[in-house]
Amino acid sequence: MQRNSRLKRELQMLSTEPPPGISCWQTEGQIDDLRAQIVGGENTPYEGGLFSLEIKIPERYPFEPPKMCFLTPIYHPNIDSTGRICLDALKLPPKGAWKPSLNISTVLTSIQLLMAEPNPEDPLMADISFEYKYNKQVYLEKAKRWTEKHAIQRNKGFEEAKENMAEDKLEKALPMCRKREAHNSEERQDDSKKACF
Amino acid sequence: MYIITKRKTTKAENNNVQQRIETVGLGLFPSTPPCFAMENSDGAKQGGSEQPDTQRRRQLDRLDREEAFYQFVNNLSEEDYRLMRDNNLLGTPGEITEEELLSRLQQIKDGPEQPNGSENRSEEIGGPESQEEGSNGDSLLDWLNTVRRTGNTTRSGHRGNQSWRAVSRTNPNSGDFRFSLEINVNRNISEQQARPEEGEQQEGEGEGEGEEPAGPVAEPETPMETAEVVEEPVVEELAVIVEPEPEPPAPQTPPLARPASPRDQAPPPPDPRAEEPPRRGQRRARSRSPEQRRTRARSERSRSPLSLDRPPPRSPEPLPEAVVEGSSRTRQHVVSRQSPAELDAQLGGAATAEPTAAPQEAEPPGGEGWSAARRPPTIMLDLQVRRVRPGEYRQRDSIASRTRSRSQTSNNTFMYESERGGFRRTFSRSERAGVRTYVSTIRIPIRRISDAGLSEATSMALQSMIRQIMTGFGELSYFMDSDSESSDSNRGPNPAPDHGEAFLNPAAAAAAASAAASAGAADGASLDGGEPRTEERGGEGRAPPTAAGREGRLGPRGPTGLEEPGSLPFLRLAHFFLLNDDEDDQPRGLTKEQIDNLSTRNFGENDALKTCSVCITEYAQGNKLRKLPCSHEYHVHCIDRWLSENSTCPICRRAVLVSSNRESVV
Repeated sequence: MQRNSRLKRELQMLSTEPPPGISCWQTEGQIDDLRAQIVGGENTPYEGGLFSLEIKIPERYPFEPPKMCFLTPIYHPNIDSTGRICLDALKLPPKGAWKPSLNISTVLTSIQLLMAEPNPEDPLMADISFEYKYNKQVYLEKAKRWTEKHAIQRNKGFEEAKENMAEDKLEKALPMCRKREAHNSEERQDDSKKACF
Repeated sequence: MYIITKRKTTKAENNNVQQRIETVGLGLFPSTPPCFAMENSDGAKQGGSEQPDTQRRRQLDRLDREEAFYQFVNNLSEEDYRLMRDNNLLGTPGEITEEELLSRLQQIKDGPEQPNGSENRSEEIGGPESQEEGSNGDSLLDWLNTVRRTGNTTRSGHRGNQSWRAVSRTNPNSGDFRFSLEINVNRNISEQQARPEEGEQQEGEGEGEGEEPAGPVAEPETPMETAEVVEEPVVEELAVIVEPEPEPPAPQTPPLARPASPRDQAPPPPDPRAEEPPRRGQRRARSRSPEQRRTRARSERSRSPLSLDRPPPRSPEPLPEAVVEGSSRTRQHVVSRQSPAELDAQLGGAATAEPTAAPQEAEPPGGEGWSAARRPPTIMLDLQVRRVRPGEYRQRDSIASRTRSRSQTSNNTFMYESERGGFRRTFSRSERAGVRTYVSTIRIPIRRISDAGLSEATSMALQSMIRQIMTGFGELSYFMDSDSESSDSNRGPNPAPDHGEAFLNPAAAAAAASAAASAGAADGASLDGGEPRTEERGGEGRAPPTAAGREGRLGPRGPTGLEEPGSLPFLRLAHFFLLNDDEDDQPRGLTKEQIDNLSTRNFGENDALKTCSVCITEYAQGNKLRKLPCSHEYHVHCIDRWLSENSTCPICRRAVLVSSNRESVV
């Protein structure tokens, strides 16, 4: 099948030459269920954070765009509280801009760019968008706080875990973030270990 | 191959319905992949924990088959490739073995000699689905079966001040189906309608023949696709023409049209009052299975939703042009934005048509009590469905047909055309596109259901008709619903949207569902918006208490109101409406012909660009590439699939169609 052979190639490319600040891997045994992490860009309120995304590959990929959403809470005008991303490349034309010549890597890069450059004109979160436009300082602070709370702490936990490689310590290190977050982090760490090697 | 039975448990209900419906196609295009995917994912789940080896082996097998597939496609001649693609015989790379492909090719090549053969076969093959359908208890199907058996059926009924009369005729030999629906609105009168059954058989119709219009085509692979109803590309070829006016059916439906039209003209304007009680009795006697009745009743209930506040119909003014506009209006209806004037125009058109249109065939002279004196607004729907054989279809240029349909607009002719061949998805989308661009042309994906044979076709036709009504004759709902009291008090408000769908043709439901699903897939946001809306509406409609107006009458009979046949379509109407609305955002694809017009060539080692950006695979010697007007090239099978749903280059997003048209025109 086209999807699978293409996915294989994409994953290979992602592992051999991943875009800077981005990693992506396959969850266990599931070729259509991927995870990715994006490092918060410098000079953005997301700096220092590590943001996890879930990627679902539709059956008709690449004729349909991959479905991506953030697992890590992020304060962003174009990403809602459930992690959905408002990005044209994630939608089919005519509304969207997906095309088969895009791939997971390029879309992740687009998301990375979107994090650095929110698009308040096409907001998913009206409040945040408003803030971004008219009260940027507040937005920056909030986004930073969110990053620290959800993206950085977890990351520290991850580092610790890496050092100790002990499951229980890992547990302790885990911050009490959102339930979902805590839940996800475990498996993510496992995954990331894999990815790292 | 793999036999997949319902696996999509996680998906929405829609899918279930769709699954039931199933289609047979082995599409190069849309449907197959999902199937595969499902299987695959299943395998993956299991494999991860339990049988990695098995999984790996399977993947290896698949890879081999994939190779073989490409090999096979590369070696196909141009005609053979098209033939197979258009008939959905290519399947998915990796899914089908080369031998199977070969045998299919052989089959399809042999097919043309027996025109009907191919279609039937596929229908028959849909075995698993058929069963499911049966379970569905689709009364509409029952009804349709009856129609098939009788050849011609007439039904009439009235609700409150509306009376309707539906005549259907089938020509078993050709598989043509014709359905005309007439609705009269009498504000002052509420009378019973007589619904004479039509005894006459259509020309050359034999009951037995009716059953199987087309010859059976054996498609070995069908079972595996069963699971994926939604995605299935299989489409029956139907051309449905709805003509509000008496004129003979469009060119596409020559067989039916000729015979029918003369009769149509004869009948005077329908007036409900004429109907006599005895007729009813007749009707009853004739009444189909209980299920049918039930269905009707249900439909009635559901009808209430339609009773949105619509402007009252004005006096009919015969304005053919207006009618035409109406057809294009489809979308507006959906939004219920239609201006009263337009409505009038449409009504007028309909009224005009009415005199001629009134189906004479159905009503015995006495039976027909329509009094000319009354000139209530009448809406006449004439729907003709014709099966198009694959070969036949090919000959027609779809562009040409579109054009034709457009030209027919003046007659307020609606043409539904579905192609057999892979572009199922395209269908829903192009359908949308059709609504937008060619008002009168709508493409409908039609699925095969079981071996019902003709009934299948007819049901499809009905479905199309419904759609038609929705789009072109949205106003009808006004009439139908004008007396909300008519709804069934007995039934009580229950109906969930599903209900309606279920009772409708599974196919219809499937189509709708698939449309919705595809929309959803395409754009999550839109899905969110659209579906809820639909439901809301449905709920609304149903919510209104159904009073007794007509029910009172029916009361004695109980829930099984015979008069409902007409209501079925209307119920659907609402749904389709919404779905159509939803679909509008979908991308539009190219037609097969348009795709075929793009140049192809074989890959040579010296070419600069060596990778197909759709599959990210390097071209191999002898690969067939298609070159878009923007000079970008892809594997033929890769780009064709994309273009079946989209119209831009995957690399540069330039519109493929515009330039290709230019070229072809020159």
